[in-house]
Amino acid sequence: MRILRLALLAAGAFLGYAAYRVQVDNLGSFTSPARASAIVIGAWLFLLAGLIAWGRRPSNRLGPLLATAGIALLLRQLRYSHDAALFTVFFVVGELSYWVVAHAVFAYPSGRITDRWERRLVATGYSVTLVFTTAILVVYNPAKPLRFFDPTFRKSLLAVGGFGDAAISLQKVFVVVVWGFLATSAIALLIRRLVTASPRARRLLAPLLVAAIAVGLRAIFESVFTFVERPSVILYDYLFWWQIGAFIALPLALLAGFLRARLARANLGELILELERTQPHEIGNVLRKALRDPTLDVLFPLPEREGFVDATGQAVELPTDGSRAVTHLKHDDEPLAALVHDRSLLDEPKLIDAAGAAARLALENARLHAETRAQLDEVRQSRTRIVTTADEERRRIERDIHDGAQQRLVALALQLRLAQRRLRDGTDPEIERLLAATVDELQFAVDELRELARGVHPAILTEDGLAAALESLVSRTPLPVELEAEEGRLAAPIEATAYFVACEALANIVKHAHASGASIRVQRRNGMLVVEVEDDGVGGAAAENGSGLSGLGDRVEALGGRLRVESRPAGGTRIVGEIPCAS
Amino acid sequence: MLFREGLVRVLADGGLDVVAQAGDASALHHAVLRERPDIAIVDVRMPPTQTNEGTRAALQIRERHPEVALLVLSQIVEAKHALELFSDRPEGFGYLLKDRVIEIDDFLDSVRRVARGGTAIDPEVISQLFGRRRTSSPLEELTPREREVLSLMAEGRSNRGICDKLVLSPKTVESHVNSIFAKLRLAPAPDDHRRVLAVLAFLRA
Repeated sequence: MRILRLALLAAGAFLGYAAYRVQVDNLGSFTSPARASAIVIGAWLFLLAGLIAWGRRPSNRLGPLLATAGIALLLRQLRYSHDAALFTVFFVVGELSYWVVAHAVFAYPSGRITDRWERRLVATGYSVTLVFTTAILVVYNPAKPLRFFDPTFRKSLLAVGGFGDAAISLQKVFVVVVWGFLATSAIALLIRRLVTASPRARRLLAPLLVAAIAVGLRAIFESVFTFVERPSVILYDYLFWWQIGAFIALPLALLAGFLRARLARANLGELILELERTQPHEIGNVLRKALRDPTLDVLFPLPEREGFVDATGQAVELPTDGSRAVTHLKHDDEPLAALVHDRSLLDEPKLIDAAGAAARLALENARLHAETRAQLDEVRQSRTRIVTTADEERRRIERDIHDGAQQRLVALALQLRLAQRRLRDGTDPEIERLLAATVDELQFAVDELRELARGVHPAILTEDGLAAALESLVSRTPLPVELEAEEGRLAAPIEATAYFVACEALANIVKHAHASGASIRVQRRNGMLVVEVEDDGVGGAAAENGSGLSGLGDRVEALGGRLRVESRPAGGTRIVGEIPCAS
Repeated sequence: MLFREGLVRVLADGGLDVVAQAGDASALHHAVLRERPDIAIVDVRMPPTQTNEGTRAALQIRERHPEVALLVLSQIVEAKHALELFSDRPEGFGYLLKDRVIEIDDFLDSVRRVARGGTAIDPEVISQLFGRRRTSSPLEELTPREREVLSLMAEGRSNRGICDKLVLSPKTVESHVNSIFAKLRLAPAPDDHRRVLAVLAFLRA
């Protein structure tokens, strides 16, 4: 490949000289050494830009395309030769060189034209140009010199005889079609690409703007030269230098843009340094900066879920609509991470690979971090589910007790009482006493069941909410209790947990605190339901000692909250439960 | 079902006419409309959800047929529910634990009293109401003995019944009752009406 490039360089040097000579020797007043040199230099720059791009990124076809454009632009000038064969061949194929340039522009930066319309335009350009140049030479009348050419030269190998001014008219139609219609389409497509590009891609698309300007200037130049009979020399001069300037700038702009990805690679050094002081969940920021894609997301595969999570462990879907690209990074064939990024980064796969390799350890770390977070979330959710399910179960048990056992026992006691009354006229006082005792026992059992059901899950909590349930609780407590509770319903697990915190705390106070009074305060504060139970007793309660309080702590934490016990010896106890309640 | 049968037997044995039985709220409404009974005895838990259909049915009967006395029975009693049911008209209204039926004579007394326009509030409700701490209530001024008397009044007992219960002389009970009326600042009025007002003051305190 190196040989080929060296050969092209040599051919370019030789062809440059030939092109210069042909113009200066044969075009007379149409050209000048300066103009001829400018044209050759423009072509050389295409060749050089192409060879450099080719050397830097051999797999990308843009380099070869640009080099071809350079050679083609040089060969085009050979149509001014006074050799009939050279004239004929390069008159016919020389104009194709502009379409090689267009081809390279539309293939920038990936090396391939991906858009359907762009591909159609370039294909149309190639074929229309070939048809026109061939036709012009076929109808060429040696008596009428072609425009742009040395009027003394009249040899075409294709000529079949004179057709008046047909060739000159065709030349004009050709300019209208190619430099009017097709060039306008090309400018439109270039501008469309700039407008629809993502912000990241747009930064790299500046060369397309240069190309659009160059095409526009060239089109104006060609039109003026073709349709204005005697253009002023100054205007002609201006137009020539403007368009040649743009054409010289074009390969430089393309090469600069093309190499920017290489410049971006210089960021990888910084990337490695920055990774040193990056928290696992911040790796996205570092990669966004290194790859210059502010929209980039880093996702991690969770094999057991067959899905992806972000750095915080939240489940995330990969985009499937094609609006963004996904690159999967692997290490030892194990999936490591997935980068969701701007499509323009696809043109620089090496850059992504390099960044991925540099960040491998950090990514591995972040993946473990995310996995742990995801598992932690799962455990939390499962704890919450357990509490919720247990609550539902308790509610069900409470209703079963009331509607089942308790109901039956009352009915049974009533039947026995009726039987007792029937016996009142005293067949056997012993049986009557027995019945009376049984009814009393049943009454006890009913009372106990009622208390049991209330302890399992008070019905009033389900029916009327936390404030009503606490009021009921307080009114049954053999101790003066100040109650301050906001009305309003909350999710059942939150209400139940808050209720049981107050209930257990109050039970502890009654049993152990020797308090003369207590207070319960329930309020919503910053998205938390805060339950505070305070007494003026002896203190000394703690959540750790396996009491009911530690079980309550677990319960509160299962809902993402926490329970604090502040106890000062002889200074009373304060129990504060905080439960997140989204409201 | 078993309970309802027992209840019907108790009422019939007590010399009351059971004119209709109903299995759900709509059957209850039809029966009340058809029979215009002196009293309707309603269980709080009713089909279909066995939660508070009975409560709602009771409130509707109170609203549409104020002349029909109502006795609400419940598996559990809550002061809050008692207050909701009483609203501002304790006449001809009762709210008792279901198992009070077992003490047949007391229960029949309550039924007759309510049917006559009196009240019957479950002692459990009374004790809950005393358990609530209200600093600014005139109830705070009552002596413990007066509280006892007031809660028995709320249960619906007559002075005679209170004498029996507390083992006090009728004179003593009467002086307690008058003291309660004074402390609750109830204007002189026929005694029955003042008793109702005292109970109401007590419930709302």
